[in-house]
Amino acid sequence: MDILQFLGSNLQQFLSYTAFSHMTFGHIMMILVGLFFIYLAIKYEFEPMLLIPIGFGILVGNIAFKDGLQVGIYEEGSVLNYLYFGVLKGVYPPLIFLGIGAMTDFSALISNPKLMLIGAAAQMGIFGAYIVALFFGFPPNEAAAIGIIGGADGPTAIFLSSRLAPHLMGAVAISAYSYMALVPVIQPPIMRLLTTRRERLIRMKPPRAVSHLEKVLFPIIGMLLTCLIVPSGLPLLGMLFFGNLLKESGVTRRLAETARGPMIDIVTILIGLTVGASTQASTFLSTTSIKIFALGAASFIVATVAGVGFVKIFNLLLKEGNKINPLIGNSGVSAVPDSARVSQIVGLEYDKTNHLLMHAMGPNVAGVIGSAVAAGVLLGFFS
Amino acid sequence: MNRLAADMLNRLSFLFNNSAVKTLNRICQHITMKKTAIILSVFLLELGAYSASAQPVNALKINEIVVHNEDGLMDDWGKRSGWVEIFNSSYATVNIGGCYLTTDVSQPKMYPIPKGDVLTVIAPRQHTLFWADGKPLRGTFHVNFTLDSVKYIALFSTDGRTLIDSVATPQNMPVDKSYGRIIDGSSTWAIFEKTTPSTNNALLDSNAANQRFEKYDPIGTAMTITAMSVVFIVLILLYLFFRALGKTATRMSAAKVEVTTGGAKGAASGEMYAAIAFAMHQYQVDLSIVESNVLTINKVAKAYSPWSSKIYGLRQAPDRKK
Repeated sequence: MDILQFLGSNLQQFLSYTAFSHMTFGHIMMILVGLFFIYLAIKYEFEPMLLIPIGFGILVGNIAFKDGLQVGIYEEGSVLNYLYFGVLKGVYPPLIFLGIGAMTDFSALISNPKLMLIGAAAQMGIFGAYIVALFFGFPPNEAAAIGIIGGADGPTAIFLSSRLAPHLMGAVAISAYSYMALVPVIQPPIMRLLTTRRERLIRMKPPRAVSHLEKVLFPIIGMLLTCLIVPSGLPLLGMLFFGNLLKESGVTRRLAETARGPMIDIVTILIGLTVGASTQASTFLSTTSIKIFALGAASFIVATVAGVGFVKIFNLLLKEGNKINPLIGNSGVSAVPDSARVSQIVGLEYDKTNHLLMHAMGPNVAGVIGSAVAAGVLLGFFS
Repeated sequence: MNRLAADMLNRLSFLFNNSAVKTLNRICQHITMKKTAIILSVFLLELGAYSASAQPVNALKINEIVVHNEDGLMDDWGKRSGWVEIFNSSYATVNIGGCYLTTDVSQPKMYPIPKGDVLTVIAPRQHTLFWADGKPLRGTFHVNFTLDSVKYIALFSTDGRTLIDSVATPQNMPVDKSYGRIIDGSSTWAIFEKTTPSTNNALLDSNAANQRFEKYDPIGTAMTITAMSVVFIVLILLYLFFRALGKTATRMSAAKVEVTTGGAKGAASGEMYAAIAFAMHQYQVDLSIVESNVLTINKVAKAYSPWSSKIYGLRQAPDRKK
């Protein structure tokens, strides 16, 4: 009988170490969410580069464990905790911006610079969500961290929320990436609702050829102008324009290729996995997270309405022949290049020969700059 | 086997004071159950019993210390004494019960913090206070030592061996001043003029902006107008610069074309050049003889590799001359 007791106590000890003995309903719910993300990514190819790492990260983060094993993302000294440091201290987002800069062609924007203003108008989504978040009772710094979801830019959202409200970062990041993946679902109905058939058929002038000098000057002047006005946006904007200079200078091809290739891939893997793993049920499942998701949806809707509405108003000031197709207004949110692709697809529905993609890329990349500037402004006010 | 299961259930009920465990234990003593059912019960009870025990005690930090408390905070007995503030730096709830506080590294189990007190559970990013009055009978949060002449304070884990956090207290600590981390959980320590028991050490600084905005801009319109203006100004400046640059570039390229074409009107359009180039290409394609079933063999170039290098190779691969 002694041996049986010994075996029983051993079994008991072993069970206390398994994840089953620590699992709660919340953990199971989160694992289902993670599986859903992976399903969306594989089945429908919704932002697979992001949803696969995040979805798997959610699975990793919601394996419950016994305290003291130093495996959890919030346990100091654990491997995941070291990787999470890059998120918590805002290291990864600027590196991603470096890669984005090195892969983005700003020619569409340089050839038709008035499209930049659409990128500015669409940032209204950030502040619309900020106002509603204040109404919901969030303190201003948390409202700002939630509002940045409307910028539709994952790295910017992570960067700002890690600085202003680190306890909300998981929910903000998951919300931002989820809605970015859902851009093809959220935006088209709003675009159709706000535009007339005549407006949807507007043909825009083909973009002019942009010289090498203009392309080289853009990141230099862009960095100086934006960062002199909003120095708090330096980590994001500085890296974005630096990456673009690597691309456009023509003499640092290897650096540009590394920045837009292996480096951004590595950082995307790390940021996706750790952000996903940060959604431990014990910290993530709360009414606050649900409110953040609701506000995130609202911010995307406001951003799209602001972008399309701005183009309609702007068209009143433009001469016939110079008018902008309001179907590219949605691209002011910086979900690159998904929102531009939405403009193209919706445009083709009404005119099979009217390709809006290149025009939409202008406000799309302006949206990246705009949301980084907005994040810099919010950081400046609240940090 | 039934007795073994009953014994295990007894242990569980002792350990976790779980009423469900006790109930099942009684049932086990009176009813003969199948082996599989017992094992399943044990397994399920393990799940329930342990589900609330995952707490990262490593995240606890000694956050602030007052050595001489003459005119500061009073304890629940209306007395003043030194105190030690512990901060839960994680975003999960942590139970400090079972851990040890000490002022002597050779006696890590100097003050065992009682288990089973609901007040020892510290919410995420929150604090708890221990009174160093040397009177542990006054409650869970009254330790059995004072801070008057100590140089070192440490918090040990529930095993009494693993050091969670420690701090060396400065000598001659001023009265009614505290020694704490500048920001909760950070590694930089300083002496504070004003103590901040059970609150953030950087309370005033961190909430100043929030308080200002809550007071003057509760709806958020001022922030919206300000921030949107900044975003527009930045992008308008970029727009103006690149519009001017674009016009200059267009003018310069037009001038260049004028020089090369001798001022021929209408030759400046890039589209026209493209049309001419395409027409010429088509013309050349038409000129060439169209042959079918032509086999083209590409010359295979020998790619360089250090393995076949003549410089580094020990043996040169024979190259047949034709």
